[in-house]
This record gives sequence, C-alpha cells and structure tokens, in this order.
Amino acid sequence: MMRTLEGRRIRPARGILVLTIVIVTVLGLLLVGGVAGLVVIAALLAYIFDPAVTSLEFRGLSRTAATVVFILSLTALLCLLSYFLIPILFAQIDLMRSEVTTEQTDLIISRLQTLVQQNLAVLGMEELDIHASIQTFKVQLSERVMKFLVEDSLALIIRLVTIPFMMFFFLKDGREMKKQLVQLVPNRYFEFSLDLLHKMDLQLGNYLRSQFLDALIFGAMSTVALWLMDVKYFLFIGIFAGLANLIPYVGPIAGVIPAVIVSVLETGDITKAIYVILVYVGLKLVDDFAVQPMVVARGVDVHPLLVLLAIMIGGHLFGMVGMLIAVPFAGFLKVVLQESVVTFRKYRFS
Amino acid sequence: MNGIRSRLFGRGRQEEPGKKIREILKSIPIFDGLSKRELTSVERILHERHYQTDEIIFRQEEPGMGMYIIESGTVGIVSEPASMQFSELHVGDFFGELALLDEAPRSATAVAKSPCRVFGFFQPDLFSLVERDPRLGVKIVLRLAQIIGSRLRRANEQALTLVEELRQLKQSGEKR
Repeated sequence: MMRTLEGRRIRPARGILVLTIVIVTVLGLLLVGGVAGLVVIAALLAYIFDPAVTSLEFRGLSRTAATVVFILSLTALLCLLSYFLIPILFAQIDLMRSEVTTEQTDLIISRLQTLVQQNLAVLGMEELDIHASIQTFKVQLSERVMKFLVEDSLALIIRLVTIPFMMFFFLKDGREMKKQLVQLVPNRYFEFSLDLLHKMDLQLGNYLRSQFLDALIFGAMSTVALWLMDVKYFLFIGIFAGLANLIPYVGPIAGVIPAVIVSVLETGDITKAIYVILVYVGLKLVDDFAVQPMVVARGVDVHPLLVLLAIMIGGHLFGMVGMLIAVPFAGFLKVVLQESVVTFRKYRFS
Repeated sequence: MNGIRSRLFGRGRQEEPGKKIREILKSIPIFDGLSKRELTSVERILHERHYQTDEIIFRQEEPGMGMYIIESGTVGIVSEPASMQFSELHVGDFFGELALLDEAPRSATAVAKSPCRVFGFFQPDLFSLVERDPRLGVKIVLRLAQIIGSRLRRANEQALTLVEELRQLKQSGEKR
C-alpha cells in the first residue's frame, strides 16, 4: 500500500488484478464459445498486416478505405495463388494415394526390414512390415488432407470468410479497441499501461512480423528449390519447411527430413538425398546471412533450454500446431514479462 | 441498411467529437491553425479520463507519456516532497506537454482540485499520427517546437535579467 499526497490509500495490485480479471474473463468466454482460434488468428493477422494498412493511410486514404483496399488486394492475391497451387496440391494428394515404390526402394526397404527383424526381434519387431507401414501412412495422410479439403469444406469456407471479415474490423477499429481497453484501466495505472502497451507493441510487432515474413520467404525458397530438383510432394514439403523454420535449432533439421525421405524412397538411392541436404544447407545460409538480417529488425533471444521446453509443452498441449507456435509464443511471453518488469520499476507503485 | 453501412464504414457514435473539446482544442496553441478534418483526427486519438478531487493525474519523477487538456474542473501543479502548489489550471488549460517530446521524468505532480474531466494526448499516438499523416504530424510537432523555443527564449531573457540584477546588487553592495 502507498499513501498519496493527501493521505489517501491506494492498493497497488488492484488495477493489475482488475485488468487480469477482464482479460481472463474475455479469454475464458472466447474459449468456451469455441471461436478463440478464429479470433486469435484474425487478430494476429490484423496485427501483422497493420503496417501495410498504415502505409496506405500514409498515401492519403482514410483508415476504412485503406482497410478495404488491403483486404481486396490480399483476397485477389490469395485467389491467384489458389488458382495455380490448388491443382498442384490435388495432383500431389492423388500421387501420394496411388503411388507404388520403385524396385530399388523395395530392395532398400526389404534390407532395412530384415535388419530390424534380425536385430530388434527382442523388442517384438519380428512382425514389422515397413513397406506396408509406409504405404498405410501415405494413404492415411493423403486421406486426411483430402477429408479436410472436401468433407470439411463447409467449415473451411466458413473460416475463409470469417477470418477476413474479423480481420477487416480488427484492422479498421483496432486502434479504437485498444483505446477502449486502456479506458478500463484505473487512473493510477493508466500511464503505466499506455507505456507498457507501446513498448510491447514495438518489440512484439517487429518480432511477429519478422517471424512471419521469414517463414514465408524460407517456405517459398524451399518449395521452388524442391520443385527445381524434381522432388515429389514439393509443395507440402516446402510449406512444412517454412513453418518448421519458425522453430530455432530443431526446425531447420525437421524441415529437411521429409525431403530426404521422399528422395530416398523415390530413387532408392541416397545421391539425390545428399543434393537435397546440400541445397537446404545453402538455403539456410541464405536465410541466416541474407534474409534474416533484412527482415528481422530485432530478435527476441530465447534460451535453448526454454525453446526445448516450449516445443515439448506446445506439442503436448496442441500437437504439431502447438510445436510450431510454441517458440513465437515463448518469445511473446518473454517480451511481455520483461517489459512489464522494466516499466513497472519506473513507476512509484510501492 | 444504413445501420450496416454505418457499422462497416461509419465512424461510430463514440468517435463523434464533442463540441466543447473541439472549441478547447482550437484555442490550444499546439493545435493552432489545424483544419476541421485535422482537428477531428486529433480528437480521435485523445483519451478521456475522469478524476475525483485530490486524485493524482501524474506523479513527479515518474516517466511522462504526454499532455493533458482540461475540459472541466481544476488541476493543481504541485512540487514534491514539499507539496508546494505553484500553479492552478482551469478549463481550456493544458499541462505536461514536454512529455510529448521526450520520456524525461515529470518535473511536478498534477493533482485534481475538483472533479475533473481531462483529455490525454500521448506520445505514442502522436508518433503514430506522424507516421500515417505526416503533414498533420509535422504541423503539431512544429507548433510544439515553436512553443518550447519561445519558452526557452523567455527563460533566457529572465536569466539575463536575473544576472543583470545580481550584478547591480553586487555593485551596490561593494559601494556600501
């Protein structure tokens, strides 16, 4: 507790408590409603794309007009990309379902199977049929993707409409929403909250935008490289490599594994796989020394141990998606906590 | 239909500017010479706050985020720790404007002397305004620089007067 000039007593924790209750209640309601994912994605995308809309405002458009122009341009770009990419995607799914392996691949798999059966029989692996397992996995994966695209198409369409719709309002009214949120803060913590939000915005904005841009560029580079090398399922693997690149240390390795496996299974030889690894090393060097210095304004250093823990917890809670968003989320938490402590110390709350 | 249109493209009731604050803004030197559209842009980034009597608006030595404009009530500017009030501000007055330019700690405490309604104009919002509407941003920053420049000139003149008075006092002391 502290005493004001006139001797009135103020509880320092009250404001923070009120704010925490408001945030937790809103998040709780959203989670119960099952729309949290959509709202978070729309808000995150709006946050990432906010500077693009601001730059349109800079050219003289009103906020609403700038938002409309941006959403229409983004939709046009996505439609154009879909026009070219969806046929390739469906072709690759069909290939995955129907394809049989080459003689050389059969030979390698047979050798591997004999090796496993002879040496790991003690672990109950004498009945293992690697060939059948691979085929089942490929069919299951392709069916799952197909099911998502065809059977869940209604939900997909709803998402594709809802997310840009929500994004439009987040982009157009985001500033007003932020203002309304700050208005809830008690007077004593008002300037502190503004200060904190501003600093978090500076750090997080740079961090999230650079991560997004880096993943996009690395994904595009990988897709093009794999396509040039004539690796099957290049689109899936390229997108996965871009997403995996979000994870430091293990991400780049995880990104190359599918390409290597597909190359070996396709040719029955490790030569192409070695080329794939070399190309990935080259791409990673380009990413580290050319792309990242350009797009990553200021990184958020997360300790390797924390990265590992974040990936494990993310994977445990939300599976693959959790693993991908774990590190950016850990970076987000680090910035929030760090800035909260630094800003809090500058104010005389205690 | 109008409802949907106003929701999608309208500015909303909350953003509709109050007449009184518009008149007050026009009278503040920082916003001098701004057009109606520009004043509306400024109004949209103001934060409305209400304070009870004796409530602290900002505290000496804490980081400053921006300035406040009084729409109703009275505000005292107090120096701590002596709690010495050296200024009392009323409707239409503004205070804390130096914080728009830097994050130096507040040089005094501002406390509400009666129930107050004030509008805050803060540095992050000013910088954001400069980014998206540089013409308006530059107008405000230039006016702010002119005000601070004229204050500096006045302070220099006062300092020179004080030096002169001190010299004369010394001379008269030596004669005695």
